[in-house]
Amino acid sequence: MKTPWAWLRQRRGRASQWQDELDSHLAMRQEWLHAGGLPADEARRAARKQFGNGLRTLEDVRAVHVTRWLDDFLQDARLAVRGFRKSPTLAVVAIVTIAVGVGAAAAIFGVVDPLLFRHLPYPNDRQLVSIGYFGPVDNNEFNVVASYLDWRRQQTAFQSMTSMRPAPASNCDLMAEETPLRVNCVSVEANFLRMLGVRPAIGRDFTAEDDQPHAPPVALLSFPLWRSNYGGDARIVGQKVTVDDERVTVAGVLPEGFEMPQLGAADILMPEQLDPTRPREANSSGFLRTFARLRPDVSIEQARTQMLPLFQQTTQLDVPKELRSEVRLVIRSLRDRQIHDVKLASWMLLGAVLALLLLVCANVANLLLARAAARRRELAVRAAIGAGRARLVRQLLTESMVPALAGGLLGCGVAWAMLRTLIVLAPEGLLRAGRTALDGRVLLFALAASLAAALLFGMAPALERPRAESLAGSRVAGAARTLFRRCLVAAQVAISLVLLTGASLFVRSFWKLQNEPLGYEPEHLLTASFTLREARYGPQASQSAFFRDLEAKLKRIPGGGLFALSDSIPPRGSMGRPYSNIRIAQHPPVAPDGGMVEFRWVTPGYFRTMGIRIVSGRAFEESERASGDSPVILSASLARRLFGAENPLGQQIALDGDAHWCPIVGVAADTRNNGLTETDPEYYRLRMDNASLPRGGVALFRTPLAPATLARWVRKEVAEADSSLPVTFQAMPERVGQFREQPRFVATLVGSFAVFGLLLAAVGLYGVLSFLVTQQTQEIGVRMALGARPRDIAFEIQSHAGAWTGIGIVAGVLCSLAVTRMVKGLLFGVAPDDPLSLAAGIAVLALTAVLAAWIPSRRATHVDPMVALRYE
Amino acid sequence: MRTDRLQGALEMLILKSLEHKDNHGFGITLHVQTVSEGLLRVEEGSLYPALHRMEKEKLIAGDWRTTENGRRARFYALTASGRKRLAESENNWTSVAKGVRKLLRFA
Repeated sequence: MKTPWAWLRQRRGRASQWQDELDSHLAMRQEWLHAGGLPADEARRAARKQFGNGLRTLEDVRAVHVTRWLDDFLQDARLAVRGFRKSPTLAVVAIVTIAVGVGAAAAIFGVVDPLLFRHLPYPNDRQLVSIGYFGPVDNNEFNVVASYLDWRRQQTAFQSMTSMRPAPASNCDLMAEETPLRVNCVSVEANFLRMLGVRPAIGRDFTAEDDQPHAPPVALLSFPLWRSNYGGDARIVGQKVTVDDERVTVAGVLPEGFEMPQLGAADILMPEQLDPTRPREANSSGFLRTFARLRPDVSIEQARTQMLPLFQQTTQLDVPKELRSEVRLVIRSLRDRQIHDVKLASWMLLGAVLALLLLVCANVANLLLARAAARRRELAVRAAIGAGRARLVRQLLTESMVPALAGGLLGCGVAWAMLRTLIVLAPEGLLRAGRTALDGRVLLFALAASLAAALLFGMAPALERPRAESLAGSRVAGAARTLFRRCLVAAQVAISLVLLTGASLFVRSFWKLQNEPLGYEPEHLLTASFTLREARYGPQASQSAFFRDLEAKLKRIPGGGLFALSDSIPPRGSMGRPYSNIRIAQHPPVAPDGGMVEFRWVTPGYFRTMGIRIVSGRAFEESERASGDSPVILSASLARRLFGAENPLGQQIALDGDAHWCPIVGVAADTRNNGLTETDPEYYRLRMDNASLPRGGVALFRTPLAPATLARWVRKEVAEADSSLPVTFQAMPERVGQFREQPRFVATLVGSFAVFGLLLAAVGLYGVLSFLVTQQTQEIGVRMALGARPRDIAFEIQSHAGAWTGIGIVAGVLCSLAVTRMVKGLLFGVAPDDPLSLAAGIAVLALTAVLAAWIPSRRATHVDPMVALRYE
Repeated sequence: MRTDRLQGALEMLILKSLEHKDNHGFGITLHVQTVSEGLLRVEEGSLYPALHRMEKEKLIAGDWRTTENGRRARFYALTASGRKRLAESENNWTSVAKGVRKLLRFA
């Protein structure tokens, strides 16, 4: 690329060549005269004299090359600045309006740009896809080892495929000088980085040998972990570190800013060592996330077509029969996989802020039109003395460029401040850590937005041809212009209504989410999560002993209040089971295709601690834990589904498709057990003394103690049971609050856009009405002199306002109905065409319109007939 | 007679001067003066801006060469569109001149 310096140098070079050319002319003339017989010095003088003013000639030559438009532009800009200095209020209003509009748009763009538009940090990122089975088990596509091995071997659609083990199994403990550090270890295939197109910053990538089953363990450290724990010392490569009681050789360090393709946390990567020699059943229960790189000429659709036969073949082999009809093949771009949850919210926010920018443009156009009306005579004069139409249009566009660029500049400041606020407010999924910043792209967007805005609102005054009548200063030429201004106001009202309706929908939805009973009481609940390490607690006996010991220790914490132990808790879902696995004694089999059922292992205190009501029957009892039957409690919705009107209490059911019969002892109230909005069927099993339990545990305390105090106690007790076991604490309200972050964020943003939009619409309406009143002062004066009552005048002005607002509202309602349907997925408990939200929007808008119309109409009634008649 | 008084005349003279031989600015002034036997004179102050304008309009193309006397000078050559323009202006000029002559005779 040409640098500015090279360009300047070239320009300077050109200018000196012009001088050279003139010099060579002089020299030749002098030579010629000298050859004709003149003495040398006389020849020089004569040549100079003949040549005339050399500087002037050089200037004229330069003028040929320097383009006119720049001069014209600067001249226009100077004119514009002078013009705006004469009406500073208008200039300030226009600039501030643009600044807020452009700033908001740029800030939102800054947030959604990494999500929607920017390249993912991998070469040829558009070729990357996520591929797998999609079923009720998970929100994302997954794979199983057996199927993946077949796909990898037989596929033709991809350059390469790779795999990693999914997140739940990824917690591991890194020993950092005697204290365990809970980090995220992710097992990936050896070609993982190569498929993504990434190389380690230092050290080496995994090799096929590393990935063989039982190969000596190696690891890649993440850049931040390497920095924080090993001081960024390159000598760590080749050394051994202790991960989960195992000595692991550090192969290398991942590059700075490396992102996992599913955006999960990853501090340590280790080879996943898939074992194709294991029996198929074993490999078909090992879960994977699988990714692939498309061949350059293959589209996702074509890849799907090519993969379908393979998918059908492995479905038959690896997917349990009852689930087969519920799984399908999903191939989607890596970007779609990453922004899965926030795609709709991102587009919606971008749309809302662009609507706001449009409103800003309409408003500024309105302001400029008002000014243009006052300047019509000036323009007509300029046209009359010979300014071309194109030149006048250019002047008007330049004039709109000046406030637009000034506003844009100020808008960058607004964007910077807003972006900082957004970074604090935004929920996790909507932000890419370290990638959301006021950078060149955002600034470029701000510039483009300002220029586009200038073009939009500068067009309006520029489009009108200056007329000869305007020279006389007559006001007749205004009719067409006010019509245009009325349309602008109607458009403003319409856009503003769409924003208002959207805002009230989101606010209502958020309010519902906030107030929806969860089925449990999050207040005063503290959770402590931990995961037992497989290496230490592999044998079931040692695991049971540890849990028993820990429970006893935690229970006796003074002031600990109610206590329970579970393997998972809402609002997150559990590792569910297929509904079709359930069998009821002396009943026909349950319906297939039942989706998933949530399932948790709990201690007897669980229901009281969580505040979950027992609807019928009873809670678990301590005495049952040593007995032979393993009692079950169903959630109300599962009980209804399994038994209908029949009494479930005392019935025997088997839960895992086998013949292990468990008595149903109670029915618990439904809870929001999969996020804050879903109520999945659920069953609870008592943590039996001899049961084989999941290694993850969550201890729950309902206590009046301060969380920090309790946490200290818990930490101490856990350390007594196992000093190398890290514990994470979280208060339940906070845990629940995380699920409300995105709706709150969306509601806040759209709400503030709507408020600002409403303000703009009000200013627009007010401006047009004031203009109208000023324009009709004479007429009003005459009518008042002839005996019209102030009330009639006011009514007329207000009916104007009513008409335009009405048109705007009708258009706005139609737009709202069309637009809000698209955001259905972001709403909870509110229909997109919710009449209440629409009515609220209309009411607020109508009220604002009345207020905005009131001031000018009052002014109209105060017109003094004498003054008005002497007006011109 | 100063040639810049007649619009288009200077351009035609330059084009005509370059018709058979590439030349530099000084050469053009000399050519015009010599061929017109001193009747026409090209002012340097008009010549160079005109040359640069015409080069920009791609009627002529300029490049640095060395003269017979070993001096570096910017030589101009007619382009295809320059040749076309010359033919047009010659026609034009002839008919204008004819018209003017008739008018003068009549009066």
